[in-house]
Amino acid sequence: MELNDIKDAFDRVAKKQKLSCSKTQEVIDLIVQEIEKALETVKSASHLDDKYVLTELKRRLQDIAPLGQLEGTQKELNIALSKYTKILEKSFNPDISKAYRNIEFDTHTVSQIIASHFYRQGLFEVGDCFISETKESECSAAILSIFEDMYQILEAMKSGNLEPALKWAAANSDKLTQNGSDLQLKLHSLQFVEILRKGSREEALKYARANLAPFASNHVNEIQKLMACLIWARKLESCPYPQLVSQTNWVTVAEELTRQFCNLVGQSYESPLSVTIAAGVQALPPLLKFMTVMAGKKQEWQSMKQLPVPVELDKEFQFHSIFVCPVSKEQTSDDNPPMIMSCGHVLCRQSINKMSKNHSRTFKCPYCPSDIDAAQCRQLYF
Amino acid sequence: MDSLPNGNSAAASPPQNTTPAAAGGTTPFPKLTQLTEALKLEHQFLRVPFEHYKKTIRTNHRAVEKEITSVISNVADVSDSENFSKDDAVNHLTSLVSRLQGLKRKLEEGSRTEHLQAQKCRARLNHLESADAENLAEWNNTRVKRILVDYMLRMSYYETAEKLAESSNIQDLVDIEVFQEAKKVIDALQNKEVAPALAWCSDNKSRLKKSKSKFEFQLRLQEFIELVRGENNLRAITYARKYLAPWGATHMKELQRVMATLAFKSNTECTTYKALFEPKQWDFLVDQFKQEFCKLYGMTLEPLLNIYLQAGLSALNTPYCYEDDCTKEDPLSQESFRKLASPLPYSKQHHSKLVCYITKELMDTENPPQVLPNGYVYSTKALEEMAKKNNGKITCPRTGLFINTLDAVTFDVSLPCIDK
Repeated sequence: MELNDIKDAFDRVAKKQKLSCSKTQEVIDLIVQEIEKALETVKSASHLDDKYVLTELKRRLQDIAPLGQLEGTQKELNIALSKYTKILEKSFNPDISKAYRNIEFDTHTVSQIIASHFYRQGLFEVGDCFISETKESECSAAILSIFEDMYQILEAMKSGNLEPALKWAAANSDKLTQNGSDLQLKLHSLQFVEILRKGSREEALKYARANLAPFASNHVNEIQKLMACLIWARKLESCPYPQLVSQTNWVTVAEELTRQFCNLVGQSYESPLSVTIAAGVQALPPLLKFMTVMAGKKQEWQSMKQLPVPVELDKEFQFHSIFVCPVSKEQTSDDNPPMIMSCGHVLCRQSINKMSKNHSRTFKCPYCPSDIDAAQCRQLYF
Repeated sequence: MDSLPNGNSAAASPPQNTTPAAAGGTTPFPKLTQLTEALKLEHQFLRVPFEHYKKTIRTNHRAVEKEITSVISNVADVSDSENFSKDDAVNHLTSLVSRLQGLKRKLEEGSRTEHLQAQKCRARLNHLESADAENLAEWNNTRVKRILVDYMLRMSYYETAEKLAESSNIQDLVDIEVFQEAKKVIDALQNKEVAPALAWCSDNKSRLKKSKSKFEFQLRLQEFIELVRGENNLRAITYARKYLAPWGATHMKELQRVMATLAFKSNTECTTYKALFEPKQWDFLVDQFKQEFCKLYGMTLEPLLNIYLQAGLSALNTPYCYEDDCTKEDPLSQESFRKLASPLPYSKQHHSKLVCYITKELMDTENPPQVLPNGYVYSTKALEEMAKKNNGKITCPRTGLFINTLDAVTFDVSLPCIDK
């Protein structure tokens, strides 16, 4: 798909449109000219008969054939317009609903999902407007209050106020440590650096003693670096640890806070709606391609239990282990679990049964030529 | 040309400069192909404002043609007529001149509107061009918002659509005006008025005819039924003669069925005809209009949201998503998503991908899977971390099996099909 070609085609349309417009103006001017000429002649007490003037005018206008003159530019414009439509249809997939199954989505469920999405993205006004337009009232209240809290903390951070964040981190410090997060330390470090930036060494030192000290045992390196920054109070730009004092640190810490907050309240970090749509963007191309090839099989499409084509998503969409048996190419399941053989290679149970003729003989592993006894294979749990 | 699955080196053509972000080599190859494929889904995004632009051009041109024809025939009439005075002639010609001046002004205005619409078309192209690896997260975020605005407009939640578009400054990237035109017709139909719908049909006469649409016929049928309902049978028959007869050639059966309502009263119990008198028929007209409208503008019939959701849900759908310990990061761990996904097919993959139960990270050659004596598999990273924190001891988190040293963990699982 050449975007430049498409842009060129559109430029041509715009050009032809301008031409058509100016030609139309021209033609109208011509008509006006003729009429005004006739008007002048009639007004002036000339020897010409009025009727004669008018008949002349009618003849002149017929000769000019204004609409005929416009036909040329119109035709060129229409050609450019239809060329653009064609290039759009060629470069893009003109119908992405071809792979759509006629299954109704329950509107209430979809509305709930959308409302939750607005609230967790911080679009509170839009969310409220949506709720009132759809008249959905229940369920979103819970999510709303959770994320309102989070955004209040984040908004405060954006305007340089770390108090709400520190309060939250202190209240949840046990769970944060359990998660292996050093968010509390990071927040205190930010505060420490801000105090230093404003200039007071004593205050900074006091702050460090009160708030950084408890973390000293586990984070010796960071604390040392921070304390070293004391030397560069008021001249933090020249400090040798730019990553500690830069403003982008605030963004990183805000992200960490968001991540921990979502985790602690049992929510995902990314909006599930965004994740699903992103997965859809990756899944549609292979599905649509399949549909163009399998155009006749629309009936089967509506009722199949598994997608007919593999859809490989990026690894951020991989939430569960998928094992595909290298022999049968089937995905393992509870009914047909993966089994590890004595050589360390893994096949699905059905393949092992087949290759050992139902445990009646040994067989050779398809990868290394070791002899395998089916009875010794053990089930794996991913 | 095959779209490449996850970097597998299938026989694919080299990446000619076919993609945005011409700055050579900022985007890795597989991501580039993926981006191109994603952009190919955006036909509606470019087509709708273009159709709108085309329509404005057509309408403006038709107005010009009409006025010029009228002026010329006016001149002809005046020149052919017998008795008029010099003053009459002067007045007539002067009025014609001022009409033409008015036309020029209108043309100018129309040209300005067309220019704005052309700019909108260009803005869309530029937006597609702007997508690259640097701003991908934000571009994707904008896409979610565009998809949601499309949903709001289809479901007639106009306020939310406007608010959402405003809040993220994406007014140029969505088609609110186009849907507002539709709103007028839909509102009227819901008020049992067909006039705006008929006007829309006449505006788009040639294209509706090309697609063999019978929407206008259905509108006329409904007007006829309303006349019968009001027991204006004579008027109904006149109406039928004028407006329904022309459709008789192609839609005789339907015509006959509706004409038969003349024999019944609106509260008839006869099922075939009772259905025709139902107020539901108006809802059906609204649906028909929406379909015709979407087709004309090159839009999908279903909201974009549903299309993307369905594909995404299916691609994420595995039997494991419905278990209690499904990770919260999986959208299908949520009740609402599970509800939507349950009638959809499961995903299919050809390449094994293993995810560590403890860290949720991919287990690949850099972080290979290891098997405990009880058959449970965890990533090397997770087991080493656990051992470090617990004096070298490991406990299987799912069964509680206790292992004294890391060495007791059996050999690596060698899985030749693991993707990087």
